[in-house]
Amino acid sequence: MALIPEYRPDVPRVERFNWLARFSHWGHTVTFLVCLFTGLILFLDSVDWLAAIFGGYGGASLVHRVSAIGMTIVIIIGVLFGFKGIIAWVKDLLRFGKNDILFVMKFPLEFMGFKVKVDPQTRFNGGEKGNSIVTPTAVIFLVLSGYIMWFPAMFPAGLVRIAYPTHDICMILATFMVCMHGYLGSFHPGSGESFWGMWKGTVRADWAQHHHAIWYEENFGDKANNQAE
Amino acid sequence: MANMTNLYDSSKCTACRACQVACKNWNQLPAVIEPFKGNYQTHESTNGNTYTIVKMTEHEDVLDGVQWKFAKIQCMHCLDPACMKVCPRGAYSKTETGATIHDPDKCIGCQYCTYACPFEIPKYNKRLDKVTKCTLCADRTAEGLQPACVTTCPVGALTYGNRHELLAQAEERVKFLRANGFPKATIYGRLELGGLNKLYILTDTPDKFGLPAHPQEYGSMNFWQNWVQPYFGWLIPLALAGSAVSFVTTRILANKEDGHGEGGHM
Repeated sequence: MALIPEYRPDVPRVERFNWLARFSHWGHTVTFLVCLFTGLILFLDSVDWLAAIFGGYGGASLVHRVSAIGMTIVIIIGVLFGFKGIIAWVKDLLRFGKNDILFVMKFPLEFMGFKVKVDPQTRFNGGEKGNSIVTPTAVIFLVLSGYIMWFPAMFPAGLVRIAYPTHDICMILATFMVCMHGYLGSFHPGSGESFWGMWKGTVRADWAQHHHAIWYEENFGDKANNQAE
Repeated sequence: MANMTNLYDSSKCTACRACQVACKNWNQLPAVIEPFKGNYQTHESTNGNTYTIVKMTEHEDVLDGVQWKFAKIQCMHCLDPACMKVCPRGAYSKTETGATIHDPDKCIGCQYCTYACPFEIPKYNKRLDKVTKCTLCADRTAEGLQPACVTTCPVGALTYGNRHELLAQAEERVKFLRANGFPKATIYGRLELGGLNKLYILTDTPDKFGLPAHPQEYGSMNFWQNWVQPYFGWLIPLALAGSAVSFVTTRILANKEDGHGEGGHM
């Protein structure tokens, strides 16, 4: 079995993520991973070999901050130019319903590779909704607490004290989600086309219909076509 | 080896600040000029280039009128130091004689210790990009010398020696002070935070000297130290292990059942 299904431009495809969503996603991926590796050096302690990659602890600290600025820029661009998209995203998250709960309950079986019948999902399934809530929230707190620790003299001492555990808890939560998301969005066989949705922007129409029936029907199905006409 | 410490007697201190100068001299620290704040205290608090200061606190007493109290402030070399617990690089350590020392080669200047310290003593030095603080002159005492501040104190307000012996000496002095016009005289550092490796003879309650009466470690720091670092972090290897297991099982089951087809269909 191939690691990721082949990209098939010859079959009908539908747009899943526009360029801004993809820029934002991969911008966060790169900056987050750089921040993670440089940050882990400090969190784990005694990983001098990892620090050496960045020219020592001082270098790692500098790369961490530069990458954090990059992440902040990605966030600002995403919010400024993709505000409508964020609203649509949040609206989809608010459609958390019975189908999502059932999805999450059945998910462990699906995760291990068992066949399960999944209820129709909106643009984001129950698991993706969870990821969409936890990861961005953790990232927002990571950025805020990071700047507080970077410029502690500008903030009340009590806030600085909370910033340290906050930064670490959010790092752990976000990394946990990123590990799961990275695997589920690529090598997990059930996810199939997901990767191409974020890489090329489009997914196979039949995959979309199968995995995100409600979303497909509302945007590309007969109902949407009828409305367009 | 026994804990060796400083005993500071506030009833003898004249706030001449020779200790500050001697400290700067021995540690080769540059002068830090702070704007005049309306009193004689040279610095608001310790800073990256000032390991010790003489704090001057004024208060008005109903019976005794205006009181001016002096207290030499520096690292308290706590027996169970918060800075040592939180430092992510393990830059802090205890010497055999009980001094809490800081290894600048390990320090990354994150300032976690500054905010964890109940006395807010370790301070960031921008030039070095590291945190600095009093070492209890560990380099001098290791060679049989006394700390620079003790050697220079002209009125004998500072004594260096065995902590137990100094405590006994402090008790005697406090008894004397209580009987001679200082009924609230007390020892500071014996029990605070489980014991400090800096002892004070105070002529009044600690708050009158700008010292916290009941210093405590911060709850958020304990939470980080006791829960976040040892346990929460395991979520990450758990996610990696779960993904690895799933990577194998999904493929085994797919081969068996011809499960996921093209495009990830089930």
